[in-house]
Amino acid sequence: MAEKGFTLWFTGLSGAGKTTLARLVETELKTRGHKVEVLDGDVVRTNLSKGLGFSKEDRDTNIRRIGFVCDLLTRNEVVAIAAAISPYREVRDELKAQIGAFVEVYVKCSLDVLIKRDVKGLYKKALTGEVKNFTGLDDPYEEPLNPEIVVETDSQSPLESVAFILRGLEEMALTKAAEAGAYTQEDEEEVRRRLEALGYV
Amino acid sequence: MGLFDRFKSKDAAKRAVLIGLDGAPCSLMRRFIEDGAMPRLKEIVRGGSLLQMDTSIPDISSVAWTSFMTGANPGRHGIYGFLDLQPNSYKIYFPNSRHIHGETLWQAVGRAGRRSIVINVPSTYPAQPLNGILVSGFVAIDLTKATYPPDLVPKLRELDYRIDVDARKVQESHDALMEDILKTLERRVETLLYLFDKEPWDLFVGVITSTDRLQHFFWDAIGDENHKYHSAFRDYYRRVDSFIGQIAERIRDETLMIMSDHGFTGIKRQVYLNRWLVDNGFLKLRDNARSIEDIAKGSRAFALDPGRVYLNTRGRYPDGPVERADAEVLLEEIGKGLSEITAEGKSIIQRVYRRDELFSGPCIGAAPDLCVQPVYGYDLKGAVNKTKLMDREVFTGMHTQDDATFFINATADALLKRKPHITDVAPTLLDAMALAKPETMDGASMLVR
Repeated sequence: MAEKGFTLWFTGLSGAGKTTLARLVETELKTRGHKVEVLDGDVVRTNLSKGLGFSKEDRDTNIRRIGFVCDLLTRNEVVAIAAAISPYREVRDELKAQIGAFVEVYVKCSLDVLIKRDVKGLYKKALTGEVKNFTGLDDPYEEPLNPEIVVETDSQSPLESVAFILRGLEEMALTKAAEAGAYTQEDEEEVRRRLEALGYV
Repeated sequence: MGLFDRFKSKDAAKRAVLIGLDGAPCSLMRRFIEDGAMPRLKEIVRGGSLLQMDTSIPDISSVAWTSFMTGANPGRHGIYGFLDLQPNSYKIYFPNSRHIHGETLWQAVGRAGRRSIVINVPSTYPAQPLNGILVSGFVAIDLTKATYPPDLVPKLRELDYRIDVDARKVQESHDALMEDILKTLERRVETLLYLFDKEPWDLFVGVITSTDRLQHFFWDAIGDENHKYHSAFRDYYRRVDSFIGQIAERIRDETLMIMSDHGFTGIKRQVYLNRWLVDNGFLKLRDNARSIEDIAKGSRAFALDPGRVYLNTRGRYPDGPVERADAEVLLEEIGKGLSEITAEGKSIIQRVYRRDELFSGPCIGAAPDLCVQPVYGYDLKGAVNKTKLMDREVFTGMHTQDDATFFINATADALLKRKPHITDVAPTLLDAMALAKPETMDGASMLVR
């Protein structure tokens, strides 16, 4: 039986770890037998959204295009993973409503840490004025109000965040751990009773 | 070749035997050696080294045995208790062998093309394939799923093998429980000796777990010569001793180790950390709560057995109100408050550990925020349905962290001069077998090189 498709949407500030996590989750889901496609915001801007700028309108258009592709993939039993800043709540919510099987992952990291890390050197450029309309500094970022999953990359390692995301997806029955199901429902009750007998529950 | 010499021959393909005695305290082994209850152990200890060993924190079997088999801390292997909560949820799940991260001792042995027999190690259910034989221990349910390869099952049934003591027998009577403890030991010993003799192996691991059950329910008997079960307790250990003797007389040039996963001491009181958290305004429970699954909104912290305390952090748990920024202050407050719990005028808390003091590795995200270690006699519990902070239950014995047993048939000068830790056992066995230690193991060999 084909696995269910869904969209895993990573949102968060530049440098928070969206692409890193998307790639790690991609690898794990593929080993679990899912078909997976990653749409990376930085890459999409060089093809699908080439020519778009960073005004609110252009940013929304970019996100809608990514969302459109995610929707197509999701309907065809593919796990579509988007890694894009996607700063505006309204358009993210619009995609959630449109796609349905949409898991919003908020990749949370404090601005202080991001400026200190500055992996791509972009914060430095933004702070000196070399780059304009930079999300989190002179452009807004609207935090998700009800994300399905929140990872905090200033305190978690990438592997911890990935484990957390995967277990979240397992909880939502969107993926199964490679080898799950050691206990049946009946077994679980028996385990509970045995642990109770030794005072562990 | 002397005992010391053979550890120096690095290339010799060595075999190794490990006998596990769940919960057997080193101090009790020494006492039984002294007073004559364990003459065979006395004999072999003369030719080797019996040391007190530290175990994992928390010091319960699921965590301790997993720390043994992976040679790693829970931050690496991912097992923090007999039960845990599913991610971003208050729903309990029971970790099993599939939740263990990192390579096990027998996987490392198998990778080198060598064969292991592993019988009754707790937390190995369901049995995972290996080069050799594995029969899972507590909390195994179904013998078929507990056995690899499954074609061994008919033989196990023929031997009337028992996975475990049924501790619920205590509700019938202590006599019934004692009978089951003895019977289970007999069946286990027969199966262990059968496999030892009939199957090829390079590593043989056989664990006796009824020791732990005995001590949970009958610990009070050992200190009291007039106790109804005093001689039954000693006789049980005599039988364990004769099993050790039966193994020892089969040993030729192998490394022999004996270990326990934690120690034991008497219980003065059970202490219910969730009661303390409720009484101090950190935890709210729904009416008639049965387990932590019945946590109510507004809770800032909760405890899981034995002394694991978790902040109800936003992002980690669905209704978590605690912001990360406020965690530090809250942990300080809870840690201080717990440290001040007293009984009979004395503190009952030995130490409150922060997460990062105990755990490191890829599974740290699931770790408790605090781990509370009690002083001897005060058994921390995660139950939520208690109206008093402290009480007495049917149990008379509780686990200890610093009095586990470590024996190896190597003399003191062949061993490092330090207290062993349970994560050192697997690296020591691998070293003795001249096999490389996996990178995921935190522990180190105790053998002098």
